[in-house]
Amino acid sequence: MNTLTYILYLLITWFITVHVGFVFYRNGRLYILRLLKGDEKLTGFINKALLVGYYLLNLGYAALMIRSWKTIHTWTEMLVSITHMTGKIMLTLAVIHFINMAVIFLFSQKQTHSLHHKSYDHEQLT
Amino acid sequence: MNNSLNFIAYLIYLPIVIVLTWYVAHTLFRNSRTFMLDIFHGRSDIALSTNKLFETGFYLLNLGFALVIMEVTSEIFDSRSMLEILSTKIGGFSIYLGIMLFFNLYLFFRGRRVSKERASLAEALKKIPGAAEVK
Repeated sequence: MNTLTYILYLLITWFITVHVGFVFYRNGRLYILRLLKGDEKLTGFINKALLVGYYLLNLGYAALMIRSWKTIHTWTEMLVSITHMTGKIMLTLAVIHFINMAVIFLFSQKQTHSLHHKSYDHEQLT
Repeated sequence: MNNSLNFIAYLIYLPIVIVLTWYVAHTLFRNSRTFMLDIFHGRSDIALSTNKLFETGFYLLNLGFALVIMEVTSEIFDSRSMLEILSTKIGGFSIYLGIMLFFNLYLFFRGRRVSKERASLAEALKKIPGAAEVK
Protein backbone atom coordinates (compact mmCIF):
# COMPACT_ATOMS: atom_id res chain seq x y z
CA MET A 1 0.00 0.00 0.00
CA ASN A 2 2.79 2.42 0.85
CA THR A 3 4.46 1.92 -2.50
CA LEU A 4 1.27 2.82 -4.35
CA THR A 5 0.91 5.91 -2.16
CA TYR A 6 4.46 7.00 -2.91
CA ILE A 7 3.95 6.55 -6.62
CA LEU A 8 0.73 8.57 -6.62
CA TYR A 9 2.26 11.24 -4.40
CA LEU A 10 5.38 11.59 -6.50
CA LEU A 11 3.31 11.79 -9.68
CA ILE A 12 1.11 14.57 -8.29
CA THR A 13 4.04 16.50 -6.84
CA TRP A 14 6.06 16.11 -10.01
CA PHE A 15 3.17 17.38 -12.10
CA ILE A 16 2.56 20.42 -9.87
CA THR A 17 6.25 21.28 -9.60
CA VAL A 18 6.94 21.07 -13.30
CA HIS A 19 3.79 22.94 -14.27
CA VAL A 20 4.32 25.75 -11.78
CA GLY A 21 8.02 25.94 -12.58
CA PHE A 22 7.23 26.34 -16.24
CA VAL A 23 4.75 29.14 -15.53
CA PHE A 24 7.36 30.95 -13.45
CA TYR A 25 10.03 30.38 -16.06
CA ARG A 26 7.93 31.93 -18.81
CA ASN A 27 6.59 34.87 -16.84
CA GLY A 28 9.58 35.68 -14.67
CA ARG A 29 11.80 36.24 -17.69
CA LEU A 30 10.55 39.79 -18.29
CA TYR A 31 11.43 40.84 -14.76
CA ILE A 32 14.99 39.58 -14.94
CA LEU A 33 15.31 41.11 -18.38
CA ARG A 34 14.32 44.49 -17.00
CA LEU A 35 16.58 43.99 -14.00
CA LEU A 36 19.57 43.36 -16.25
CA LYS A 37 18.68 46.21 -18.63
CA GLY A 38 17.91 43.97 -21.59
CA ASP A 39 20.88 41.60 -21.53
CA GLU A 40 19.20 38.67 -23.31
CA LYS A 41 21.97 36.11 -22.96
CA LEU A 42 22.56 36.57 -19.24
CA THR A 43 18.81 36.63 -18.64
CA GLY A 44 18.36 33.29 -20.34
CA PHE A 45 21.16 31.81 -18.31
CA ILE A 46 19.97 33.15 -14.95
CA ASN A 47 16.41 32.13 -15.70
CA LYS A 48 17.47 28.60 -16.52
CA ALA A 49 19.64 28.38 -13.43
CA LEU A 50 16.73 29.56 -11.28
CA LEU A 51 14.45 26.96 -12.87
CA VAL A 52 16.89 24.12 -12.26
CA GLY A 53 17.49 25.25 -8.69
CA TYR A 54 13.76 25.39 -8.12
CA TYR A 55 13.26 21.87 -9.48
CA LEU A 56 16.07 20.49 -7.37
CA LEU A 57 14.78 22.16 -4.22
CA ASN A 58 11.21 21.01 -4.62
CA LEU A 59 11.70 17.50 -5.88
CA GLY A 60 14.35 16.96 -3.25
CA TYR A 61 12.01 18.22 -0.58
CA ALA A 62 9.20 16.03 -1.90
CA ALA A 63 11.46 12.99 -1.89
CA LEU A 64 12.70 13.72 1.63
CA MET A 65 9.12 13.86 2.88
CA ILE A 66 8.70 10.18 2.04
CA ARG A 67 11.11 9.27 4.81
CA SER A 68 8.73 10.33 7.54
CA TRP A 69 5.68 8.59 6.13
CA LYS A 70 3.45 6.48 8.37
CA THR A 71 2.49 2.93 7.44
CA ILE A 72 -0.74 2.90 5.50
CA HIS A 73 -3.46 0.29 5.93
CA THR A 74 -6.62 1.67 4.33
CA TRP A 75 -7.64 3.76 1.36
CA THR A 76 -8.81 6.52 3.68
CA GLU A 77 -5.41 6.81 5.31
CA MET A 78 -3.82 6.88 1.87
CA LEU A 79 -6.05 9.69 0.67
CA VAL A 80 -5.48 11.69 3.84
CA SER A 81 -1.71 11.35 3.79
CA ILE A 82 -1.44 12.17 0.09
CA THR A 83 -3.58 15.30 0.35
CA HIS A 84 -1.85 16.43 3.52
CA MET A 85 1.63 16.08 2.06
CA THR A 86 0.64 17.64 -1.26
CA GLY A 87 -0.98 20.52 0.60
CA LYS A 88 2.19 21.06 2.60
CA ILE A 89 4.29 21.10 -0.55
CA MET A 90 1.93 23.56 -2.21
CA LEU A 91 2.03 25.89 0.79
CA THR A 92 5.82 25.78 0.79
CA LEU A 93 5.84 26.51 -2.91
CA ALA A 94 3.52 29.47 -2.40
CA VAL A 95 5.70 30.92 0.35
CA ILE A 96 8.87 30.52 -1.71
CA HIS A 97 7.11 32.05 -4.70
CA PHE A 98 5.97 35.15 -2.82
CA ILE A 99 9.40 35.61 -1.23
CA ASN A 100 10.94 35.32 -4.69
CA MET A 101 8.59 37.93 -6.13
CA ALA A 102 9.24 40.28 -3.22
CA VAL A 103 13.00 39.94 -3.68
CA ILE A 104 12.82 40.65 -7.40
CA PHE A 105 10.50 43.58 -6.77
CA LEU A 106 12.84 45.06 -4.14
CA PHE A 107 15.84 44.61 -6.43
CA SER A 108 14.15 46.33 -9.34
CA GLN A 109 12.99 49.17 -7.11
CA LYS A 110 16.48 49.70 -5.76
CA GLN A 111 17.81 49.74 -9.27
CA THR A 112 15.28 52.25 -10.58
CA HIS A 113 16.05 54.52 -7.65
CA SER A 114 19.77 54.44 -8.32
CA LEU A 115 19.04 55.00 -12.02
CA HIS A 116 17.01 58.07 -11.18
CA HIS A 117 19.77 59.45 -9.03
CA LYS A 118 22.27 58.88 -11.79
CA SER A 119 20.13 60.66 -14.33
CA TYR A 120 19.61 63.53 -11.96
CA ASP A 121 23.34 63.82 -11.41
CA HIS A 122 23.77 63.80 -15.12
CA GLU A 123 21.24 66.58 -15.57
CA GLN A 124 22.90 68.64 -12.93
CA LEU A 125 26.27 68.26 -14.57
CA THR A 126 25.14 69.27 -18.02
CA MET B 1 -13.06 1.44 10.54
CA ASN B 2 -14.54 0.33 7.28
CA ASN B 3 -18.08 1.48 7.88
CA SER B 4 -17.08 5.02 8.80
CA LEU B 5 -18.02 7.78 6.42
CA ASN B 6 -14.66 9.59 6.44
CA PHE B 7 -13.75 8.54 2.93
CA ILE B 8 -17.06 9.73 1.49
CA ALA B 9 -16.67 13.01 3.34
CA TYR B 10 -13.24 13.54 1.74
CA LEU B 11 -14.63 12.66 -1.66
CA ILE B 12 -17.32 15.31 -1.23
CA TYR B 13 -14.96 17.88 0.26
CA LEU B 14 -12.20 17.75 -2.35
CA PRO B 15 -14.21 18.62 -5.50
CA ILE B 16 -16.07 21.38 -3.68
CA VAL B 17 -12.95 23.17 -2.48
CA ILE B 18 -11.15 22.75 -5.80
CA VAL B 19 -14.07 24.15 -7.77
CA LEU B 20 -14.52 26.96 -5.25
CA THR B 21 -10.85 27.98 -5.45
CA TRP B 22 -10.85 27.75 -9.21
CA TYR B 23 -13.98 29.89 -9.47
CA VAL B 24 -12.70 32.60 -7.13
CA ALA B 25 -9.26 32.74 -8.74
CA HIS B 26 -10.75 32.76 -12.22
CA THR B 27 -13.10 35.65 -11.42
CA LEU B 28 -10.51 37.64 -9.51
CA PHE B 29 -7.71 37.35 -12.03
CA ARG B 30 -9.83 37.85 -15.10
CA ASN B 31 -10.86 41.21 -13.74
CA SER B 32 -7.50 42.13 -12.26
CA ARG B 33 -6.00 42.54 -15.72
CA THR B 34 -7.50 46.02 -15.87
CA PHE B 35 -5.80 46.93 -12.60
CA MET B 36 -2.49 45.50 -13.73
CA LEU B 37 -2.61 47.44 -16.98
CA ASP B 38 -3.28 50.59 -14.95
CA ILE B 39 -0.46 49.84 -12.52
CA PHE B 40 2.08 49.25 -15.26
CA HIS B 41 0.84 52.14 -17.41
CA GLY B 42 -0.46 49.96 -20.22
CA ARG B 43 2.71 47.89 -20.75
CA SER B 44 0.72 44.76 -21.39
CA ASP B 45 3.52 42.16 -21.40
CA ILE B 46 4.73 42.82 -17.87
CA ALA B 47 1.20 43.43 -16.62
CA LEU B 48 0.01 40.05 -17.90
CA SER B 49 3.08 38.28 -16.51
CA THR B 50 2.53 39.80 -13.09
CA ASN B 51 -1.09 38.79 -13.24
CA LYS B 52 -0.18 35.21 -14.10
CA LEU B 53 2.41 35.04 -11.32
CA PHE B 54 -0.07 36.30 -8.77
CA GLU B 55 -2.67 33.85 -10.04
CA THR B 56 -0.34 30.89 -9.65
CA GLY B 57 0.61 32.02 -6.16
CA PHE B 58 -3.06 32.38 -5.24
CA TYR B 59 -3.84 28.86 -6.45
CA LEU B 60 -0.89 27.35 -4.62
CA LEU B 61 -1.62 29.10 -1.36
CA ASN B 62 -5.34 28.41 -1.23
CA LEU B 63 -5.37 24.89 -2.62
CA GLY B 64 -2.48 23.99 -0.34
CA PHE B 65 -4.37 25.35 2.63
CA ALA B 66 -7.52 23.48 1.59
CA LEU B 67 -5.63 20.19 1.29
CA VAL B 68 -3.83 20.62 4.60
CA ILE B 69 -7.03 21.21 6.58
CA MET B 70 -8.88 18.32 4.95
CA GLU B 71 -8.18 15.63 7.53
CA VAL B 72 -11.00 14.73 9.94
CA THR B 73 -9.35 13.15 12.96
CA SER B 74 -12.48 11.66 14.49
CA GLU B 75 -14.47 8.82 13.01
CA ILE B 76 -17.71 9.76 11.33
CA PHE B 77 -20.50 7.26 11.80
CA ASP B 78 -23.76 8.85 10.68
CA SER B 79 -24.71 11.16 7.89
CA ARG B 80 -25.78 13.93 10.24
CA SER B 81 -22.35 14.38 11.82
CA MET B 82 -20.75 14.07 8.38
CA LEU B 83 -22.90 16.91 7.12
CA GLU B 84 -22.07 19.04 10.15
CA ILE B 85 -18.34 18.48 9.93
CA LEU B 86 -18.35 19.07 6.19
CA SER B 87 -20.29 22.29 6.45
CA THR B 88 -17.96 23.56 9.19
CA LYS B 89 -14.92 22.83 7.05
CA ILE B 90 -16.30 24.21 3.82
CA GLY B 91 -17.76 27.26 5.53
CA GLY B 92 -14.47 28.02 7.25
CA PHE B 93 -12.60 27.61 4.02
CA SER B 94 -14.97 29.92 2.14
CA ILE B 95 -14.58 32.60 4.78
CA TYR B 96 -10.81 32.29 4.48
CA LEU B 97 -11.12 32.49 0.70
CA GLY B 98 -13.28 35.59 0.97
CA ILE B 99 -10.72 37.29 3.20
CA MET B 100 -7.96 36.43 0.71
CA LEU B 101 -10.10 37.82 -2.12
CA PHE B 102 -10.61 41.13 -0.36
CA PHE B 103 -6.94 41.29 0.59
CA ASN B 104 -6.00 40.86 -3.05
CA LEU B 105 -8.50 43.51 -4.11
CA TYR B 106 -7.02 45.87 -1.53
CA LEU B 107 -3.55 45.24 -2.95
CA PHE B 108 -4.75 45.98 -6.48
CA PHE B 109 -6.48 49.22 -5.48
CA ARG B 110 -3.47 50.30 -3.48
CA GLY B 111 -1.08 49.54 -6.35
CA ARG B 112 -3.23 51.50 -8.74
CA ARG B 113 -3.37 54.48 -6.41
CA VAL B 114 0.40 54.47 -5.83
CA SER B 115 1.15 54.20 -9.53
CA LYS B 116 -1.28 57.02 -10.35
CA GLU B 117 0.27 59.23 -7.69
CA ARG B 118 3.73 58.56 -9.06
CA ALA B 119 2.60 59.32 -12.60
CA SER B 120 1.04 62.63 -11.60
CA LEU B 121 4.14 63.50 -9.60
CA ALA B 122 6.33 62.84 -12.61
CA GLU B 123 4.02 64.96 -14.77
CA ALA B 124 4.19 67.81 -12.27
CA LEU B 125 7.97 67.54 -12.01
CA LYS B 126 8.31 67.86 -15.75
CA LYS B 127 6.51 71.20 -15.75
CA ILE B 128 8.74 72.80 -13.12
CA PRO B 129 12.07 73.94 -14.52
CA GLY B 130 15.04 72.76 -12.47
CA ALA B 131 12.91 70.22 -10.62
CA ALA B 132 15.67 67.69 -10.81
CA GLU B 133 17.60 69.51 -8.14
CA VAL B 134 14.63 69.48 -5.78
CA LYS B 135 14.38 65.71 -5.62
